[in-house]
Amino acid sequence: MISKGDQTMTMRHLIPAGRAKAFSLALALAAALLSAPGKAATTSLDFYFPTPVQGPLARELTRIVKEFNEKNADIDVVAVYTGSYDDTRVKAQAAIAAGKPPGVALMSANFVLEFVLNRQIEPIEDYLVENKVDPKSFLDDFWPAVRPNATIDGKIYAIPYQNSTPLLYINADHFREAGLDPAQPPKTWADLVSYAEKLTKREGDQVVRWGLTMPSAYDYCGWLIQSFTMANGGLFYNPSYGGEVYYDQPSTLGALQLWKDLAFKYKVMPQGVIDPNQVSADFFAGKASMVVLSTGSLSFIRNGAKFPYRVGFMPRNVRNAVPIGGGSLIAFAGLTPEQRKAAWRFMSYMTSAEQLGYWSRFTGYFSPRKSSYDLPEMKEFIAQHPDALTALEQLEYAGPWLAVYDTVAVRKAMEDQVQAVLSGKKEPGQAVKDAQKAADEIMRPLTEKITGGVGP
Amino acid sequence: MAGVGFVWSTPFLWMIVAALRPEGYGPAELASLAPDFVPTLENFRLAWESADFLVNYANTLIVVCGILGVQLVTVTLAGYAFARLEFRFKEALFYLFLLQLMLVPPILIIPNLTTAVRLGIYDTLIGVMAPYMASAFGTFLMRQAFRAVPRDFEDAAVIDGCSFLALLRHVMLPLVRPTLVAFAIVSVVAHWNELLWPLMVVNSPKRQTLVVGLASFTQASEGAAEWGLIAAGTLLVTLPLILAFIAFQRQFVNSFMFSGLK
Repeated sequence: MISKGDQTMTMRHLIPAGRAKAFSLALALAAALLSAPGKAATTSLDFYFPTPVQGPLARELTRIVKEFNEKNADIDVVAVYTGSYDDTRVKAQAAIAAGKPPGVALMSANFVLEFVLNRQIEPIEDYLVENKVDPKSFLDDFWPAVRPNATIDGKIYAIPYQNSTPLLYINADHFREAGLDPAQPPKTWADLVSYAEKLTKREGDQVVRWGLTMPSAYDYCGWLIQSFTMANGGLFYNPSYGGEVYYDQPSTLGALQLWKDLAFKYKVMPQGVIDPNQVSADFFAGKASMVVLSTGSLSFIRNGAKFPYRVGFMPRNVRNAVPIGGGSLIAFAGLTPEQRKAAWRFMSYMTSAEQLGYWSRFTGYFSPRKSSYDLPEMKEFIAQHPDALTALEQLEYAGPWLAVYDTVAVRKAMEDQVQAVLSGKKEPGQAVKDAQKAADEIMRPLTEKITGGVGP
Repeated sequence: MAGVGFVWSTPFLWMIVAALRPEGYGPAELASLAPDFVPTLENFRLAWESADFLVNYANTLIVVCGILGVQLVTVTLAGYAFARLEFRFKEALFYLFLLQLMLVPPILIIPNLTTAVRLGIYDTLIGVMAPYMASAFGTFLMRQAFRAVPRDFEDAAVIDGCSFLALLRHVMLPLVRPTLVAFAIVSVVAHWNELLWPLMVVNSPKRQTLVVGLASFTQASEGAAEWGLIAAGTLLVTLPLILAFIAFQRQFVNSFMFSGLK
């Protein structure tokens, strides 16, 4: 029992005491927040991953990583969601600069070269040799199209994980209505133009239905101009050397001219810069009869289209050709021997035929490994979804994706010009010249090394 | 007035309608504001399951309150110093402070991250808060507010034997309270919505903030937009802010009227 006097004393001291308590609580909280996590006797490894496809992908990938951790008690892989492909690249580079490199990352397939040029990642080939895996037979199980972006100067630096290509989606009802056969999507550029003209519906000056539409926002824009350039017989960039792009070339000029003509000459496609979400929305609403989107959108279109749709190869002018897209696993430099062992076990687990097949069915990407498609569950899936088969067949004609010194900036140099053309502000001839000039300037620090200091 | 209110609230109403709309409605119906369907909570269930919302809420709350708590102290003291105290290079220092407002956050990522690693606060919530603990904007705001207080008030208090801290607490702060509240709202909203820095400094999923959690299932470059899911997720993220605003509406409106801040 305390006397009344004591009580008032306590009351008077309550405020400072309370404050002291709050302060020590704050200190304890700060200490708790500051303390880094860590299990004893396990090797910890950060795994950075972006989620370029919508839905609970981050959750699912985290679950897969958790499953791996449960099966491998001595390894603790921390799955770190890192935003978009571009954010992941920024975060990885910032973390390296700050001295906290991640262990493994899922990186956009065409960013691998930059990390090699900056000496920030270790060759996967070293891992293969150490673990007595023959690099050649390892690479042979991957589709030829995904190999070049993962191999630099003949050495394997990345393991493809999820891949895509551009694909043509058509509305079968609209095709029948226009007297076209939905089983025969346009094969050539000439077909593309004439089909699109037949499919476009006008009421006076107003277009109520577009024959064709495709995204021209950043990222998609560069990918698609490369796709059309390749279909026009071009290379777009030099896959053997990261300092050359072929923007100011007949093949690229022709591709850009087609894109412009679709919107301005034939008027079968909306003018201006188009967002990918707008493209899928127009397709679903029946406001566009043909659209170009990634094979990664297959599941989304399959679930969202309330009408029969078909898919077809990207139309050719000179040849059938598309660039790949998607992401690969890379392992960073500066890992401890234990971390390297853990990284290898993790990467080989993630890129087994079964795991890649599962991820492909979950996301809509195709599996970069051929052997995934020999698995019974994958055969069943393909039989159920013939559109996935078309996407897979187009892979035979796929090539590597733009990968140069400072890829994003060089890509944007072209995208800015394409967007200017699509907005009616520039002619294709001038646009490709300006794009080339800007790109050469960006790559100059690299090209100077082989030109004796002279600019292009 | 009602018309302006309606125009202003359209995106918001649309978000609610879209979040409640069952899957399988085409974009034509999607654009409609009128609820022409049986509402469903399915989108909310999907969104709730797509990220660790409880953990994310807690983290965001800690970050936002932590930043605000420290900021209120730092901007009050710094603002008072710039408003009333005389010291060497005061003007130059003040402009140096303001210069910070001109920097675009992305260029600070690498230096800030390097500092965070050196201080041992990489991958911690303290690391998320640290760069914002001193606010140039807040200091500027408080300086202006303190300068608007007539000096006579202070002189009177000092003559009566008031200490510096007591002067600040009993005379100055009550007078600049509207500015403080206005600054608090701006700070809370900004840090509640921030994506880039938390994404850069935090690795562990259990320290992820709300917006990072939201981005993890709504950001898509190769897929396409599922508007119902995005709307539901966004509502979940903004709901606490909206509720707080409704609860303190009168106070907030008064603060903005006094501080002239929008």
